[in-house]
Amino acid sequence: MYKKLYNLFSSTRLTIFLFFAIAATSILGTLIQQGLPIERYEQIYSQRVFSVMGFFDIFDMYHSWWFTLLLVLLSINIIACTLRQIPRIIRLTSSGKNPTDDEIFAASRTIKTWHSNRDIEALELQATKILTSLAKTPVHTKKDNTEYFFAEKGKTSRWGMILVHVSVLFILAGGMIGMIWGYSGQIILVEGESADTFSLFSGKGTKELGFDIICNHFSVDFYKTGMPKRYKTDLTIVDQGKEVMTGAITVNHPLHYKGLKFCQATYGIADTSSFQVAAENTVTGEKTVLTLDKMKKKPLPNSEIYFAVAKLLPDYKGRGPGVLGVLIEPDKAHDIFWIFKDKQTQRGAFAFRLKDYDKAYYTGIQVSKNPGTPFVRAGFIFMITGFILSLFFTHTRIWLRIRDTQKGHEISVVANASKNQKAFKEKIQGLAGRFQGDEF
Amino acid sequence: MINDTFLVSITTFVYFFSAFVFLISYIFKKKSAEKIALVSTVAGMAIHTAALICRWIHSYQMGIGHAPLSNFYESMVFFSWSLVFIYLVTRKQDTNNLGGILATFFSFLILAYTTLSPNVDCQIQPLIPALQSNWLTSHVITCFFAYACFAIAFGLSILYLLKRTKSKKGIIALLPDAAVLDEATYNMISLGFVLLTLGIITGAAWAENAWGRYWGWDPKETWSLITWLIYGAFLHARITKGWKGIRMSLVSILGFTAVIFTYLGVNYILSGLHSYL
Repeated sequence: MYKKLYNLFSSTRLTIFLFFAIAATSILGTLIQQGLPIERYEQIYSQRVFSVMGFFDIFDMYHSWWFTLLLVLLSINIIACTLRQIPRIIRLTSSGKNPTDDEIFAASRTIKTWHSNRDIEALELQATKILTSLAKTPVHTKKDNTEYFFAEKGKTSRWGMILVHVSVLFILAGGMIGMIWGYSGQIILVEGESADTFSLFSGKGTKELGFDIICNHFSVDFYKTGMPKRYKTDLTIVDQGKEVMTGAITVNHPLHYKGLKFCQATYGIADTSSFQVAAENTVTGEKTVLTLDKMKKKPLPNSEIYFAVAKLLPDYKGRGPGVLGVLIEPDKAHDIFWIFKDKQTQRGAFAFRLKDYDKAYYTGIQVSKNPGTPFVRAGFIFMITGFILSLFFTHTRIWLRIRDTQKGHEISVVANASKNQKAFKEKIQGLAGRFQGDEF
Repeated sequence: MINDTFLVSITTFVYFFSAFVFLISYIFKKKSAEKIALVSTVAGMAIHTAALICRWIHSYQMGIGHAPLSNFYESMVFFSWSLVFIYLVTRKQDTNNLGGILATFFSFLILAYTTLSPNVDCQIQPLIPALQSNWLTSHVITCFFAYACFAIAFGLSILYLLKRTKSKKGIIALLPDAAVLDEATYNMISLGFVLLTLGIITGAAWAENAWGRYWGWDPKETWSLITWLIYGAFLHARITKGWKGIRMSLVSILGFTAVIFTYLGVNYILSGLHSYL
């Protein structure tokens, strides 16, 4: 029973099945948008479909019980396969321990044997020289008038694939740890404001930071084309009444403090912006400058009409800043129109022009903590190291034996390489020639 | 400064010529034609590289300097560059020039579409904040080198299927043994798999800086994982089970479908953070 389970879990058949199962199910989550509020799904799907999908957590499928199960099965599979491979690798990498083993020569199908009448010292010297050039300085052992040479190189390369598989375990473990103990959320701060909590994503309430974070300034730069160039928030962190850190975050340059990471995520124009709009009564010629807060109406002079600013765009279609003005007249629908700096906008008796504005930005900072990150990073490094070891290095082993026979010294060579065996065999075939040649 | 899009147009023709001469050398088994094709491919590569460098310099002159790897046009031009580059560095394994035909022909197709289609904007655009990262170059290069390997493997698998299923007449009879095609496919997929792994790792490292998490099941990320899993399954089946033959070439074709979907489908069909290709 135990044996059967072990065989199942250490089989590549299971690996291939799991790979395809994870790939196929993953497609679902890219077709059905993930993580929307649950009411949205209720609107989209019929009650029956909705309840089935709900049972399988399709709306957050990458964190569902069955998807996690697939990943756990994959982990067990990798562990079992790795355990199964380790004894083989130990065997392959410990062949130098028994240098006088005649069985290697007896069992090998790729043995090369020839005879020479040279004196033994010359042959020894030549054997050492050639093995050194193919691998490393050989271990030379004498036993019962027979000489054994063994040389190998690139032993570690055998562990490369093991390292790659272990790295996947690290990455999966890191992912699990992050899923269980990690969290992320957002802070919205207007310039000058501070916060000591942040709201968690997926509406799970708020969380204490344990310190204060102050937004000193937010700025956004644009290219000439109007495309955004840089979003930057200047922050100060105050911990227990002390300013411990002042710095800026931009996209791609987060800030770290006490295990939390702060990323620039979003921005906008705060409701605390104030505007100065010049209003001219074109009938009477009377001019006034209204100073308004956003969404706060004020009466126009000598009339029953109220005016308010609803929205600011720092750059309206390449025309510079524009504000959305609203005229509120009794018994009439609201009149909504854009007002610019460069030209007046006429509405009834009044002409409006944006004189100036004092805009305050808010910045959206993503806060996250992921205790799984070190594992994932270690996994990345192991994976790259593992691939380098197994791709760029080859485990080469050469056994050479010289013994006396009636035909003279019998030289036998057995060689083995973990990669490019064809090219390596050709190299070994040339050995006899080098022995008979006169290169001393 | 030479116009880089003009150089790309020239490259398109040179690759077409190379593919044509490779084909002739293949059909008539002419060594001399093979040499001409190779010289022409290298020349095409040189002009292609010059185009990339010109565009790079040009972007600096515009004051928005960045490697030409940031929008659809640039990615297509780099994809075709990667195809020929991967072919040239793996040429030793390519005994039958099939890789040469496939790489230059695919490159020609991609460049022809890129230069002729009105939907492809070839303007140099500044980098939006999310793309301003040192990870950009390493991420894009590893991913497109991987795509290039998979594209060549895809072509070889198609040829393999033709060889195995169609009657052994005409041009199909000229194809090398099915076993040779199978081996070449396997070599390309192994290389592509390692490169894709690097592409995903560099992408994850970048995402950790830009979006605060290394993995978020964004459609682009998910599809790159799907691609990785398909080719991973291919390699496991091949290395430990010794599976060969038609079903493996079908897996290779399936894998390339996933590559295309990762590269283009995600952007045009699904929505996500990775909207700039």
